[in-house]
Amino acid sequence: MIIVTDALNRERHTDIIDEMYRLRARVFQGRLGWDVKVTDGREFDEFDALDPVYIIALDESGHVVGCMRLLQTTGPHMLSDVFHEILDGEPPLRSAQVWEATRFCVDTERLSRSGRASNSISYVTSEVMIAAFEYGQESGILDAVAVIDPVMNRVMIRSGNAPYDYLGTAKPMGKVTAMAALMDCSEERVARIREFSGITHDVFTPEHVVRAVFEAAHAPTTHDHLPEALKSYLDEQIAAAGTADELRDAKALAATLATRFSREEDQRYQSVH
Amino acid sequence: MDLIDLSKIPDADDRFLRFLDDLCQTLEFDHASYATLNPVSGTVQGFANYRSDWVDHYTRKALHRIDPTLHFGRKSIAPVDWGRLERTAHFHSVFNDAPQFGMSDQGLTVPVRGPYGDFGLLSVTRDCPKHEWQSLKKKVMGNLQVAAVHMHDNIMQSDLGIATLHRPALSTREREILQWVAEGKSQQDIGDILSISHRTVEVHLRSGRSKLGALTTAQAVGRAISLGLVKPG
Repeated sequence: MIIVTDALNRERHTDIIDEMYRLRARVFQGRLGWDVKVTDGREFDEFDALDPVYIIALDESGHVVGCMRLLQTTGPHMLSDVFHEILDGEPPLRSAQVWEATRFCVDTERLSRSGRASNSISYVTSEVMIAAFEYGQESGILDAVAVIDPVMNRVMIRSGNAPYDYLGTAKPMGKVTAMAALMDCSEERVARIREFSGITHDVFTPEHVVRAVFEAAHAPTTHDHLPEALKSYLDEQIAAAGTADELRDAKALAATLATRFSREEDQRYQSVH
Repeated sequence: MDLIDLSKIPDADDRFLRFLDDLCQTLEFDHASYATLNPVSGTVQGFANYRSDWVDHYTRKALHRIDPTLHFGRKSIAPVDWGRLERTAHFHSVFNDAPQFGMSDQGLTVPVRGPYGDFGLLSVTRDCPKHEWQSLKKKVMGNLQVAAVHMHDNIMQSDLGIATLHRPALSTREREILQWVAEGKSQQDIGDILSISHRTVEVHLRSGRSKLGALTTAQAVGRAISLGLVKPG
């Protein structure tokens, strides 16, 4: 499920955006080793202060698993100000009908763990791309220039979503290289990605539905009084839930144990052992 | 798109209004306006072909201070349909009286961000059934984006007086492609010559046009030649 946030609805979704910043820190500093600034486990930079659009993907259990950031190329953007190395010293594209996509990533750790088709890396990648292209089309955008890493590039080539060209040349950027890929924002491309991924539904989920799913996944737990080992086991089960059903089961287990194992029993347990 | 090329019309204030009239006629809107905030003086500068009694009413009540189409429009990167703003605090205070001035509250605002932190807002309205509005938007959104950037760039250059100092930063690819166009090659030919896709030729041409402030490729070539960036074919 996808939610699009911008300066107009951002206030309602600060918690989802915060989780996205944490995903970006894990991916860009952790996995890719890019030289990004991370504060309190969250990665954000001066371009996040320019009111960009975020395309954010959540899995069925309400966790942020993918994202992308969009900016106009007529104003300040990363290829003009930060990533100009990739362009071999050439000035960047500037067009009313080209947007720049950066900080495109998916939570490979979480997604590969679950092993479900709808939670696979390529499914979420496709979902984010479909959303970005359809959102762009509605805004009169014809092409996107995306700063990506080679792994993302390969995933896209395999998913019916190969870039039609690249600008400049790939440049070392931490543990991997970064490249600027060109993609047309066309019906044909969206159709190819949809066919490959089997995504036929409207990828944009209504805001209130996304909120309900996200809030259910992040509701305060009721089993804080349980012994530490048991508590952390239950927390892990809840965090690892890949679907709405798994999440419900994990929470039900926690709730059952929490009531069975009342505070007094807990104290007796601790005094005996 | 057959819009007036702003740089070809000398008379400063009038040419922007004529551009808006032309835009309404070409893209089938009732009214259009352009606004930019002067970062130095903090004043809102703008042009509109609204009815003069609406402009008087808007100015007298200082509606620009609360107008959500300006305040939310400037923070968006995508065009904002005013339908999205209906639940914001001041939408109704601004638009409740609009119908009596022949002004529709069915409209959209295209935000433009410039390279110097400057921004502009092109707004258009049309009083018509919802489904007609939706299909019109789909049909003209791309042209509207191009028109908005064209108008904004021209106003920035006239306003700041940097037009003569401004030398467009064309990339090697953009210059090379414009050079081949000047020599009469088609986009298909150019793609073959440079061993790049038709789409790559197209994306560089669009960017070249934007940097040169031109609406058509022919104008872009002419301007690139006059700036000495491209040799005559």
